Amino acid sequence: MAVNNGEPGSAERQSGFTRRGFISAGATTATLPLIAGRALAGTPAQRAEAPDGDGKMNVTLRVNGQDQRLGLDSRTSLLDALRDHIGVTGTKKGCDHGQCGACTVLMDGKRVLSCMTLAVMAQGQDITTIEGLARPDGELHPMQQAFIDNDAFQCGYCTPGQILSAIGCVNEGHAGSDAEIREYMSGNLCRCAAYPNIVAAVQQAKTEMKEA
Amino acid sequence: MNVAVPPPKENMGQPVARLEARSKVTGEARYSADFPLNNLAHGVLVTSAIAAGSIKSLDLEAARAVPGVIEIFTQENVKGLKDPKFGQGNSSSVQPFNGPKIWHDEQMLALVVANTHEAAEDAAYRLRASYDETKPSATFDSPGSQTLDAVGNTESHKEDPKLGDVEAALATAPVKIDVKYSTPTQHHNPIELFSTTASWQDDKLTIYEPSQFVYGYKNGVAEQLGVDPANVRVVSPLIGGAFGSKGPMTPRTAVVAYAARALNRPIRCVVSRMQGFTTATYRAETRHHIRMGATPDGRIVAYSHEGWEVTSRPDNYVVGGTETTSLVYAYGAVGTRVQIVKADRNTPGYMRSPPETPYMYALESAMDEMAAALKMDPVEFRRVNDTQKEPIKGRPYTSRSLMTCYDQAAEAFGWKKRNPAVGSMRDGDWLIGMGCSTAIYPTNIGPAAVRVRLSPKGEVRIETAAHEIGTGIRTVAGQMAAEPLGLDMKMVTVETGDTDFPPAPVAGGSNSTASVCSAVLVASNRIRDRLFRAAVTSNDGPLAGRNPGDLGMKGGMIVAADGASVKLADLFGQMGSGVIEEYVEHTPEGMPPESMAKLYSGQSSFKRGSQGDKIRFAFGAEFVEVRIHSRTREIRIPRIVGAFAGGRIMNPRTARSQLMGGMIWGIGAGLLEATEIDPRAARYVNRDLAEYMVAVNADVNQLEVILVPEEDHEVNEAGVKGVGELGNVGTPAAIQAAVFHATGKRIRDLPIRLDDLLNV
Repeated sequence: MAVNNGEPGSAERQSGFTRRGFISAGATTATLPLIAGRALAGTPAQRAEAPDGDGKMNVTLRVNGQDQRLGLDSRTSLLDALRDHIGVTGTKKGCDHGQCGACTVLMDGKRVLSCMTLAVMAQGQDITTIEGLARPDGELHPMQQAFIDNDAFQCGYCTPGQILSAIGCVNEGHAGSDAEIREYMSGNLCRCAAYPNIVAAVQQAKTEMKEA
Repeated sequence: MNVAVPPPKENMGQPVARLEARSKVTGEARYSADFPLNNLAHGVLVTSAIAAGSIKSLDLEAARAVPGVIEIFTQENVKGLKDPKFGQGNSSSVQPFNGPKIWHDEQMLALVVANTHEAAEDAAYRLRASYDETKPSATFDSPGSQTLDAVGNTESHKEDPKLGDVEAALATAPVKIDVKYSTPTQHHNPIELFSTTASWQDDKLTIYEPSQFVYGYKNGVAEQLGVDPANVRVVSPLIGGAFGSKGPMTPRTAVVAYAARALNRPIRCVVSRMQGFTTATYRAETRHHIRMGATPDGRIVAYSHEGWEVTSRPDNYVVGGTETTSLVYAYGAVGTRVQIVKADRNTPGYMRSPPETPYMYALESAMDEMAAALKMDPVEFRRVNDTQKEPIKGRPYTSRSLMTCYDQAAEAFGWKKRNPAVGSMRDGDWLIGMGCSTAIYPTNIGPAAVRVRLSPKGEVRIETAAHEIGTGIRTVAGQMAAEPLGLDMKMVTVETGDTDFPPAPVAGGSNSTASVCSAVLVASNRIRDRLFRAAVTSNDGPLAGRNPGDLGMKGGMIVAADGASVKLADLFGQMGSGVIEEYVEHTPEGMPPESMAKLYSGQSSFKRGSQGDKIRFAFGAEFVEVRIHSRTREIRIPRIVGAFAGGRIMNPRTARSQLMGGMIWGIGAGLLEATEIDPRAARYVNRDLAEYMVAVNADVNQLEVILVPEEDHEVNEAGVKGVGELGNVGTPAAIQAAVFHATGKRIRDLPIRLDDLLNV
């Protein structure tokens, strides 16, 4: 890998190894699962299986209680499926590398990075996005209300991910103290740095979530 | 009420929640890359693998073979784009698609457009480039870099401030320090990625792009494409963090618009996190040499500050922070010089407190070093040199509450309990240090236009092409109308970020609240005056014949002191009006009259805080406690307190959040953030959010923001000073001072990391 200049989207030197080639050749290495979502799906073997030119697969995703039948490129991330194919754009892309947390959704109640999840892998699970939290009558989830009450955002871009991650954090039992909340919410970056307000919001909402 | 919602003190508005709060917690908030468009194609950029040289050839064959690829745009088939003009709202003077030259690492080479994002990414991987490579100069001290004086070579740094004979004053000063500091390359890294979506309807172009200056983008993209700006609309209703990075337009915007026109199809190009490091701007690395002389009783008799900043080959960008630092204290003599160092890099740009962050870090660190040399308390040293007039020309500050900020922050922090002896404080394995610093930021204001409309039901709608980057501009603009019109905030709608609205300045320089609120205030007062006039001149209304000056507005009524009142709906009926609307263009006093017309054509200008017979600055004081683990050298910040005075605080909730965010930015700048450069290849090596470390939730513990009441009627009509960039100015120097207090070691090069403390 040392001579590989080819990060995603960067024009590789003609003589260099490519990451894709490296992964195809070394598919048994322990690092594979980390990057499989981005790289493995594009190997020639898999594309050959795809019936048409664009490699569309029939995928059914259950999002906020509704089944969504989609024809997707097999490489489509859950994040892109939600945003570009279903049109729920509340889930945000901040890095596409699992480093910022902006794309956090709940799958069967657990927080998951949708950019690191292939859409095809999310079939058969209940996916909750930010759009699915408020009640049909418009009443906000306690965590949403707590984020407003504690001004736990400024630009609001990381907020859907923060809120879903915060709900996950409470449900996991990782909201016992301020210190624990800080630790278990540190996978969600907020560049406006509303962090102390986010901690306060989680503290407020966790009590109401228990009562609910 | 909770800590995030501070009750208003004197001269502060209500801490109302953000107008767009509900949309931001429900996912309804629409950012630029969220707009649904029919038949959308996806664009992915390909960038260069070298930093200097030229493209020899591009092999597109494998990329074109990817199913779903529509077209690949390169310098071969992009024709007729005009080069952008640097310094007029553009990030650089180079349009990379106009030629083979490579000016910097990861420069745009191609735009791959495909039916799906996946196909475009796949094809982008497969594009091959060969280069004629030359040896790049990476940064300071790199062979081939070129050093120039900022004066005479840059637009914005026109003179090096000086006072008296600084060398003579230094020679005779009884106490002297001579120190060097540096700050690293930093990237804004807003969580929202850079993106451009371009859509044509016949000859009308709509651009959806996160922008801190939609009128600048509108005119800039029109100029590059050679089309009439009247046919270009830029839409940017909510911006997912910016910090300066979305101020100047980058060359990508015109390329995506060009491609969309060529394909007759809307295109969205979302820039990857990695490519965002090189296809947008950044804060350049700086170096500082400070010499300071003082009398034994602590008066600064000499202050010499030399600064060096990296810039690109094509563009002479400079921040020139001595314009601010030379005004801060009552120096006896001042000598400054700013130089730029040209290297093979992309052109830097402004990033939150562009001049103050690096230059005040150096000055305030030197202040702490001088206080130590004088064996004076650092707060008292600042007090001795505090002044209500800047030292260079003797112009007064319209208001300056620096020492009030110090006193309130010191009290809340418990500064008195600090044992001043270095290395004297400890808690088990943790070495404790405490430090403080001054924060300062100029109050800039620019021309702004707004449309304010009142309905008979008492609904107010404000339209302005201001930019909601998370500062709360919509909310404070709404408050500025709701107050004189006596209406509840529920009745207020504020629309921003669209060139179909009246123009507002670039959301930079912390000017927006002052600029936009001044215009809203004028418009609202005019509406109120029209209503009052109508009420008193009506033939038979309850307020007929009254003096307009005795009237007020409350809850959808015009009311007199004795309780007589008329409902808005009735008054509108009398007036025969469906709505009352005011379109106000507000140009701050002392600005050239043509500055408003220039704003419409995409040139934003400010009356800067340092200009005029009286100067306008916001101040603050920050106190930090650091704890350094005696075995691992891990550095933590358990407590940070900042007190800030910013004139009228429109909304204590949004103001506190901005200042808090700034202080945490300062923690990042002090301990974490640096873009690392490979000096041989002039390439950034940590271009993602795992390797470029920003503060996370666990990096922040106790944090207190004190809003210090301050009234300033001279600063501008609205009486407000911007606070968006004030919060991060002081933190790094306070951290540096605290690390010294804990360890006795001066780490003068930011960020301060545990490996700097191994030998303590």
